[in-house]
Amino acid sequence: METVLLIAHTEADGVLARSAREALHAARMLNKTLAGSNLVVGLVGENVQAAADSIAACPATRYFGVTGAEFTQARYATDATAAEAICRAAQATIIVAPATSRWNRVLPGVAQRLGGRVDTHVTDVAEVGGQPAINRWYYRQRMEATISRTQRPWFMLIDPGSQPACECGAGTASVEMVTVSLPEACKRTTVVGVREPKADAQTIRPDAQLLFVTGAGWTKKQADGHTHVPEAEKIILEFLKHTRASLGSSKSLVDLGGEGQAVLPFLSHLNQIGQTGSTPRHPKGLSTCCHGEEPHTVGWRFIAERRAISLDPNCGWARGKADVLYVADAFKVMAKVNELLTKG
Amino acid sequence: MIEPGFQTDAPTIERPRMDADIVCVGFGPATAGFLTTLSKQLTNADGTPVVESAVMPGLPPQVLCYERADDIGFGVSGVVTKARALRESFPELDKADIPMAAPVSVEKVLYLLDPIGASRRSTLLKLADEMIQAFKWALPVEDHALKLPWTPDFLHKHGGMVLSMGQFMQWVGAQVQSTGTVQIWPGTPVKEALLENCVTSASNSVAADVSPLYLNSGKPEPTHVGCYKPRVVGVRLLDQGVTKSGAPADGFSPGMDIHAALTVVGDGPVGPVGQQLDELFGLPPDHHTRDWAVGMKFVVDLPADTPLKPGTVLHTFGYPEPEIFGFLYVHPDRVASLGIFVPSWFDSPVRTTYRYLQHWMLHPYLWRYLKGGKLRSWGAKTLGESGRRGEPHLVGDGYARIGEGSGSTNVLTGSGVDEAWATGAQLAEAVLELLKARKPFTKENLEATYVQRRRASWVESEARVAEQSRDGFQRGVVTGMVGMALAGLSGGRLAIPGKPLRPWERIPSLEDYFRGRIPPDEVRAIRDDCYARGVSAHAALMERAGWPTIPYDGQLLVSHQDALLLGGKVQAPPGYADHVVFLYPELCQKCGTKLCVEVCSGQAITPGENGVPNFDREKCVHCGACLWNCASASPENPERMAVAFRAGTGGLHSAEN
Amino acid sequence: MSTAYQIVVCAGIVPDPLQTLEPVASPTGPALKNEMMLPAVLDPWASHALYEAANLAKNAPGSKVWLVSLGPKAKLQQVMMTVAQRVPFELVALDGPASGFTEAAEVAAALAEVIQTIPGLDRSRLLVFGGWESASRGAGATMQMVGERLGIVDQFQGVDELKVNPDGSLDILERIEGGKHQVSKCVGPPALLGWATGNLPEPKNNPQVGMTNMRAVMPALQKAKAVKLAGEGLTFASVTLPKQMRETKVVKDKLPDEIAAEIVEWIKK
Repeated sequence: METVLLIAHTEADGVLARSAREALHAARMLNKTLAGSNLVVGLVGENVQAAADSIAACPATRYFGVTGAEFTQARYATDATAAEAICRAAQATIIVAPATSRWNRVLPGVAQRLGGRVDTHVTDVAEVGGQPAINRWYYRQRMEATISRTQRPWFMLIDPGSQPACECGAGTASVEMVTVSLPEACKRTTVVGVREPKADAQTIRPDAQLLFVTGAGWTKKQADGHTHVPEAEKIILEFLKHTRASLGSSKSLVDLGGEGQAVLPFLSHLNQIGQTGSTPRHPKGLSTCCHGEEPHTVGWRFIAERRAISLDPNCGWARGKADVLYVADAFKVMAKVNELLTKG
Repeated sequence: MIEPGFQTDAPTIERPRMDADIVCVGFGPATAGFLTTLSKQLTNADGTPVVESAVMPGLPPQVLCYERADDIGFGVSGVVTKARALRESFPELDKADIPMAAPVSVEKVLYLLDPIGASRRSTLLKLADEMIQAFKWALPVEDHALKLPWTPDFLHKHGGMVLSMGQFMQWVGAQVQSTGTVQIWPGTPVKEALLENCVTSASNSVAADVSPLYLNSGKPEPTHVGCYKPRVVGVRLLDQGVTKSGAPADGFSPGMDIHAALTVVGDGPVGPVGQQLDELFGLPPDHHTRDWAVGMKFVVDLPADTPLKPGTVLHTFGYPEPEIFGFLYVHPDRVASLGIFVPSWFDSPVRTTYRYLQHWMLHPYLWRYLKGGKLRSWGAKTLGESGRRGEPHLVGDGYARIGEGSGSTNVLTGSGVDEAWATGAQLAEAVLELLKARKPFTKENLEATYVQRRRASWVESEARVAEQSRDGFQRGVVTGMVGMALAGLSGGRLAIPGKPLRPWERIPSLEDYFRGRIPPDEVRAIRDDCYARGVSAHAALMERAGWPTIPYDGQLLVSHQDALLLGGKVQAPPGYADHVVFLYPELCQKCGTKLCVEVCSGQAITPGENGVPNFDREKCVHCGACLWNCASASPENPERMAVAFRAGTGGLHSAEN
Repeated sequence: MSTAYQIVVCAGIVPDPLQTLEPVASPTGPALKNEMMLPAVLDPWASHALYEAANLAKNAPGSKVWLVSLGPKAKLQQVMMTVAQRVPFELVALDGPASGFTEAAEVAAALAEVIQTIPGLDRSRLLVFGGWESASRGAGATMQMVGERLGIVDQFQGVDELKVNPDGSLDILERIEGGKHQVSKCVGPPALLGWATGNLPEPKNNPQVGMTNMRAVMPALQKAKAVKLAGEGLTFASVTLPKQMRETKVVKDKLPDEIAAEIVEWIKK
């Protein structure tokens, strides 16, 4: 009989993030389909009552909490101790968690402590032949596998955006506090704070509606034999200002810096999408001046609607990957797009 | 004319130096043969050195090999070979150890008829085609192809192997390095040979230290004055952390000088060190390197129901143009290497290999096998087609030349890998002999050992037979084929004479080439329109002249850029200078054909401002076709043209070729 | 006085990122088609870890870098020829599969075991580096397990910067959501860092470094212990390439103005 534990951490304001509710949805699916299983919830944070209450209507049989000032911030040593304590108290066999940076950092280590196994980048959970199974990606989102495991506990980190958020209502949860003692060895690291990107920095914004992908073509010589980097910079920034889109880039464009070539100064490796970058999830994606697999197959894996502007009508990467391929000069099209957006 | 950044050395640059005993340039089949033979014999069974290193006493000789490509086995081609020399080095050779190797099982030579009527065929050939069509009921003709009922023995490869050179080289590389006596460093291009006893205008005296004098282009630096008994004393590696023009930039790291008693030059037909030595020492009397070809290939997953057996070897001629030869070799597991050669004696100013390769694949005889196939890999390379006539001075003080760049390719049998390997192995035996006798690597000593071995071998005797075999091609394809047969069957005693012209002497203007097919005004209009859009003109011109458009399928028939990315995975690391340089912009401005743009295997050369082409390093596959596909002679040397093809990084990232 | 660090970098090998990958079934579970023929590179994020390690070692005299790598011996040897010219390190090799389908916990066990055999390892100077995710398994789980097995509870993932303060403490920047970085201060070694891109450019090829490294690389490869990864308890029901071939509408003959209008309408939709 499986005990399915949803383990989540609270946000700075004490509530649960959407990703936690998405993981709860996955945990409930398992609970519902695995005969005889039971669902429990574990929460870590400075104070977890409000978070527990916010999902109190879900069919969890027990709520566990580890609280205290030491658990406000994401720190491996304390988080691992807290998560380990909750897993032990709940005697969990399946632990479902949102794949936040905080849990990604710590839960594989907790799995090791408990002699269990862990899977990250899980995009779906199911029951197959009475046993739990998951879908997860390999080779940086290039191939998808369905796997099952006999070892317990089994940790499943659910990729944000891959599940609907659990809509269960609020109520009053009775949280059993799990006491943990933190040895001095757990306090060698202090979280000093969070460094925000500059206000005008262009990054991958998880909440954006659109991913705007810029390829190396923006800095290459155009039909007139010249590069037009300042113009490219102006067009791209203006478009981002209008749309608040996420800015993604191909590796080749980010790498150009080392070539002594004119570069787009606002791009860094944080913008890189694809094999060695990120694979963001957005409803729409628009690629410009891109030619290659990185943005079109890997970086676009989780983009719902995709359009591309390219001068090459036979671009094998856009074909079959984009919904619409505009054969045109992106400089001209995007300048006009900006003009239309300015007019509102 | 030359950008300041390309001045070899500002006096202030302090170059790091390293000492080795032997340094090799390029890890191709020749160097592989050299290192395989050498590495086995450098240490005794008890691990002690057979001879001691001069630079690290107590250790075996320090042997280094620098390879331009980003990994071993990137950028070489799939072959069928008799593998005589390979078997001598690896008597226990088990094909199962080498991915994609298969014994030759079926050999066919096919004359391809023109099924669409766009091919440029001579009257004689047209007549022959008509005869074949008329008697096709009696001839082995199917799908517009005549299978030659008999082919001369010298063309056969029975008993040989179909290989992926990429996979074979990776395998050899692992074997060689596991001996622990040699090191092979990919991603590390050699810029030039280091010379001693040369004069520069800067010093105006015999340089006491080492002074590299030449640019890789073969074009002398302005400071060059002369050399007195020049001696090669090692190599200089390429500068890193420089701009496109070679000027120091962020992270500048000057190329290291590797000093060695012997420099083994195996950098192929278009390698920078080979070019530099040819320029410095000249070629022996009556020798020249005027005949070339660019080979381009696909590695393809054949359809699941393919009837082609592993080891099948098809050779074709006659289509898409009579001058273009094709090959299809079948590896195990339904994989085939296939491609064409476009030779320098195909006198077309728009001789695009990629486009012709697609038309060749679409020939009915081949397409029935290829339809439904999928591109796995793609690549291109220049072949030195002058054979023994292109042989340079094989040795000099401090250096020896092996492989294709040393004229080892047999142009009659179309065999190069086996010969290249053999020359490397011969050099290794010679080197061991000299090392054991504690004799220096002087010109005389290398002649008495290496050259003497080479002259006494089958490589030499067969090359002699082949030497004039292709001269007939100077008079046309049919004459050329007859000439080859004559030379082959008579053991080289007979041949049809013909004087090979320099490549630039052969290029007709676009207007002349298309005369009778497209009015000259229209040719110019099409060209100007294409160049204004920054693209090559061959597609538009060929289609206007009757070639059909390519029906792209996204699997096998893909755009040229997709072949680079899907097939060749072409890329270039940042921080290196452009290695293709247009040396005389004034000549480019006057040039009406832009053959370099049309032929470029990676579309890396495109029409540029004021008629001077642009070069995009990230697309270059280092085939070297630009070196000889230029319609302008170098003002300094009529045997050379106006494009420099220097040492550079990047290129193909596929080891299946 | 600066600490002389012992930096152990865990870095596997993965197919060169531009290669076309396709899963196939093999008797031992899923594998990549032509796996042994695909050119391999050092795992990209782990490569950054190696460069950061070398940079740190250069600035902290007396430091040493070990590169611990698990992969098929022949492939490891090949990859070393492109890595060994970059920065000085001593290779500790394990001969086993480099497949992404291997189990992180088993890989971690093998790595931790071999790390513990490195002679003279001193926890008070030990930094364990790796990539925060591999380009093969792509799980971001192995390093944490290695750390646990080595008893290191100061762990950081998605690291972009490590700064050593004059008092020996470490300032570390980790990537978190929303393009932000979490800033932490750790009193000092032992610590484990899973690196993201970092800030260093790729080091240039240095033949001298290569020659020195290779003297130890070949012996290390020769004595590489064979590791079996059984994937115990793990069953793959399927491994597939995403089937998301789309019907691409190719719009060729429209003017930029018309295209722009269409795009704006689509964005606003």
